Amino acid sequence: MTRILAAASAAFLFTLSPALADDHGEHAHDDHAHGEHDMQPADMAMNEDISAALAAGGSLVTAEVNGMVCDFCAMAMTRTFGRRDEVAAIHVDLDTKVLQLVIKDGESMTDEVIRDLVTRSGYETTAIRRGMAD
Amino acid sequence: MLKHILAGVGLLACTAAADARPVSYEGGWTAIGETDRASSSLWVHYTPHYEWSLGGRVEWMRDRDLVFTGAQATHLVHRRFRPDSQGNLYAFAGAGVTEGIDGNPRDAEAAGFVGVMADWETRRWFVSWEARLADFGEGGEAMQAARVGWAPYEGDFGDLHTWFMLEVDQRPQRDEPVTVTPLVRFFKGPVLLELGYTPADDEPFASFIYRF
Repeated sequence: MTRILAAASAAFLFTLSPALADDHGEHAHDDHAHGEHDMQPADMAMNEDISAALAAGGSLVTAEVNGMVCDFCAMAMTRTFGRRDEVAAIHVDLDTKVLQLVIKDGESMTDEVIRDLVTRSGYETTAIRRGMAD
Repeated sequence: MLKHILAGVGLLACTAAADARPVSYEGGWTAIGETDRASSSLWVHYTPHYEWSLGGRVEWMRDRDLVFTGAQATHLVHRRFRPDSQGNLYAFAGAGVTEGIDGNPRDAEAAGFVGVMADWETRRWFVSWEARLADFGEGGEAMQAARVGWAPYEGDFGDLHTWFMLEVDQRPQRDEPVTVTPLVRFFKGPVLLELGYTPADDEPFASFIYRF
């Protein structure tokens, strides 16, 4: 009986998982763009949310993050930064290990705050760049 | 009754091998369930600080008709970062009561456990080890489990990630003290699901993690 219940429960949960997994964050900021996998940060094709937030006057911040190896890592970042009012858009790329943020026009977020939020997400920032790459 | 509630919930749990991130990001909640050859359990924890999680745990030791209900604290002792990898060392402890169910007349007794977990992973490889010492009111008992995993492809955030894993566990008090469990892990966004089978005990393995 236990085994039957276990198998049935597992199957049920698995059927739920794709729907649940569509939630990458609380803020609707986070997104992922497929097909950008082999690019360097400076060459990355722009994520749609990032592009839209930049078009609205936001400023781009790119943070290189150590230790991001899975979706839980990425989700920690999107949810932590997604709570901040000054953040207009978030994008995490596991291939390039970068976190991209767009800070709203008229708002700011210091490097110190970004490093602290990455730490509170459970990870480590190695570099922070501002503005578009050359 | 509790037995049926546990089963209905989906046999969520984290006994030995539930390994993926026992501590979350600050403010994050995680529900972890597992059913393995020995027990079924549900563990829900909250992370108030990125080095700690606190939660409630229910574990049903099926062969003994015993249920543990209590609290568990987990501490991230050390996290080692590299650009392409992450290694973690955790210590945990739990305290509560165990009580007989389903015909077992044993009254509630104080119970507790302590343990350590370590893991290292890249996007392709995963290794972990966990050990636990417990006293569920029947004398001390120990277990340990080690796991190795391989991902056939690297997905990005939001993709379906697939892992093939092999777990070896040792529970000296059982008829089959050492068993091997092959399993497959599916991982997408906030949901992780594992399905496997332990041939030596003819028992299925399932675990589930949902982060919210």
